Amino acid sequence: MNEKQLELLLNPPPGSKLAAAKEFGIDLTLLIRKLELTPEQRLEELQQAMRSFDELRQEGEKWRKQTDGGVKAGDRGTSQTRS
Amino acid sequence: MVELRPAIEALAKHEVEFVIIGGVAINLHSSAYVTEDFDFCFLRERENLKRIVKAFAPFNPRLRHFPKHLPFIWDDQALQNGTNFTLETDIGDIDLLGEVKGVGNFANAEKESTIMNLFGYEVKVLSIEGLIKAKRAAGRTKDLLVLPELEALQDYLSRQEK
Repeated sequence: MNEKQLELLLNPPPGSKLAAAKEFGIDLTLLIRKLELTPEQRLEELQQAMRSFDELRQEGEKWRKQTDGGVKAGDRGTSQTRS
Repeated sequence: MVELRPAIEALAKHEVEFVIIGGVAINLHSSAYVTEDFDFCFLRERENLKRIVKAFAPFNPRLRHFPKHLPFIWDDQALQNGTNFTLETDIGDIDLLGEVKGVGNFANAEKESTIMNLFGYEVKVLSIEGLIKAKRAAGRTKDLLVLPELEALQDYLSRQEK
């Protein structure tokens, strides 16, 4: 990706669809790396992301079963303090 | 979760006429969007239906949310009797669409597709423009949420062509 392309994503022209997406909350910096990958690499990354989400979901379900529906952070008797 | 490589390889190896659509297509165009299933649009001609049946038979396809005690026969007749199918398979959830809202049938989807090289095969993937049409037509919140990113990608790529 050359400097001009990078600039386009980091500072999109006002009024453009790129600017609208940024305002909407889309992290355009994520596109920088994705655009440099081949379609097959993008697919491999998607598959890895799917696996990670699946593992997290399974861990969450395990946790809910162990704790009979989950434990709220406030139920633990500890409080978060700022250091 | 769906295993993408075996699904795509099976279709390509059996020379199925198909176009990748949905979240996987969005991702193939560089979005960071994460999906759970694999959707494709297929040609509703008998020979192609037979190819799909052969391609997915090893993955034990059955209709999603269909009572398990009721028989489901995975053959070309079953595919002939419907247009869109939501399947669960041993490799995950796969949606087969004979028609895509906002785009149309396979011939329309094919016209709106780009070719990408995946796992050694040339595979048709619905274009960003096609995906925008499909997502607009679907109109659900989850579809509309991906529009700004798709439009941004379209904008970025069109500026590269100039």
